[in-house]
Amino acid sequence: MNEFLLEVKNLHKSFGHLKVLNGINLNVSQGETIVIIGPSGGGKSTFLRCINHLEDYQSGEIIFLGKKIDKHTSNLNEIRTKIGMVFQHFNLFPHMSVLENLILAPTKVKKISKEEAIQKAKLMLEKVGLSEKINAYPESLSGGQKQRVAIARALMMEPVLMLFDEPTSALDPELVGEVLAVMKDLARSGMTMIVVTHEMGFAKEVADRIVFIDKGVVVEEGPPDVIMKNPRNERTKSFLRHIL
Amino acid sequence: MEAISVVFTNLPFLLLGAWDTLKLTFFAVLIGLVLGTFIGMGRLSKIKFINIPSTVYVEFLRGTPLLVQISIVYFGLPQLGIQLQAYPAAIVALGLNSGAYIAEIVRAGIQSIPKGQYEAARSLGLTHWQTMRYIILPQAFKNILPALGNEFITLTKDSSLASVIGVTELMRRGQFVITRTFQTFSIYFGIALIYFIMTFTISRIVRYIEKRMAVA
Ligand SMILES: Nc1ncnc2c1ncn2[C@@H]1O[C@H](COP(=O)(O)OP(=O)(O)O)[C@@H](O)[C@H]1O
Ligand SMILES: [Mg+2]
Repeated sequence: MNEFLLEVKNLHKSFGHLKVLNGINLNVSQGETIVIIGPSGGGKSTFLRCINHLEDYQSGEIIFLGKKIDKHTSNLNEIRTKIGMVFQHFNLFPHMSVLENLILAPTKVKKISKEEAIQKAKLMLEKVGLSEKINAYPESLSGGQKQRVAIARALMMEPVLMLFDEPTSALDPELVGEVLAVMKDLARSGMTMIVVTHEMGFAKEVADRIVFIDKGVVVEEGPPDVIMKNPRNERTKSFLRHIL
Repeated sequence: MEAISVVFTNLPFLLLGAWDTLKLTFFAVLIGLVLGTFIGMGRLSKIKFINIPSTVYVEFLRGTPLLVQISIVYFGLPQLGIQLQAYPAAIVALGLNSGAYIAEIVRAGIQSIPKGQYEAARSLGLTHWQTMRYIILPQAFKNILPALGNEFITLTKDSSLASVIGVTELMRRGQFVITRTFQTFSIYFGIALIYFIMTFTISRIVRYIEKRMAVA
């Protein structure tokens, strides 16, 4: 029996000659919220993108729900429906309304009926507090609203793991809170989440573990109060001094 | 005076040719759009088996004269056992030719869409084809509409080359009238005006569609 939802073992990834991930190890249990921090260019985004195989990798293993994810995985699209991803720049589909953004994948990938998808979209928009924007187009939304729609869109597929890549770092400061609130609700509802963010308040409040990644390795990990108050590693210390 | 009236008396005859020019161009653009969409995507494929033939196609058709291409289809193919009437031969040759140009337009259109769009769609579980169909191509076509309009205009003019294989489009009909009336200048000038009215109208229609799509 496998106790972890996700296991990453000794993951190595390079772009040409540039080594980006140099042996990442990370196990994530069902229901955990992991916050990843670390300097820019350290490989955080690449790591997330390897998990749902937007990037291929050279060696190591990624095991999700007991199955390997690599370039030989045949049902990659099906696996991706179980892993939601939220991007720094939202990546909403600008030619589609909010509703259309939400129901596209459920109807085309999961083949559920349009009526059912619309019902579900309404519930999801209620959850993120955007019911009144159902027929709006992305360009008319604020950054915070866009990101909440993006979260709702990912949740439409009923993922068991959510990946967030700096979901609030492109937002005006006054809009960060509304997105974090939605993410906190999600974490408390039991969703398994891996969140790359430097919002340490969020990490303190909902993270089960903080993972510090630098130069493509996990330098240090532990509970938020330990990592934030008593980091052991010098690199962690100096990084935290910069962002706190 | 006679120079002008000769154009008017032959106008119905010439306009039938203009109608043929439009139909010829329309069907060629249709072929070019389908072909160009696939070849344009093929140009961006990482699979060599798809990428290389697409590139060769585009380079070859853009690097050889349309007149030669028309001749190959109409005069050359029969030797290989493929016999086409002049009119379908012209549609095929123009379609194959515009396919190469449209492929380049489509390629640029796809490249103009931020990579995040593709990744967001794939992360939701959509296949490569679903992503192309629902996310990338609809946005790309909106961006390339002006370029496609230009291609339509170019092809309207280039379709006059079909006259050399006997298609009775505008140019050919103009030449008929000239052999009957010897009014070389006014007839050629007259058909130039008709071509201009057609291309000008097309460019206005494209601009109108563009504005409508910008609102949507
Ligand atoms: N597609 C790519 N091609 C080449 N290099 C890349 C690519 N994506 C990321 N990199 C490089 O990999 C390194 C890690 O990037 P990234 O994972 O985005 O780091 P982080 O998210 O921690 O800032 C950087 O040096 C970046 O320039
Ligand atoms: Mg990053």
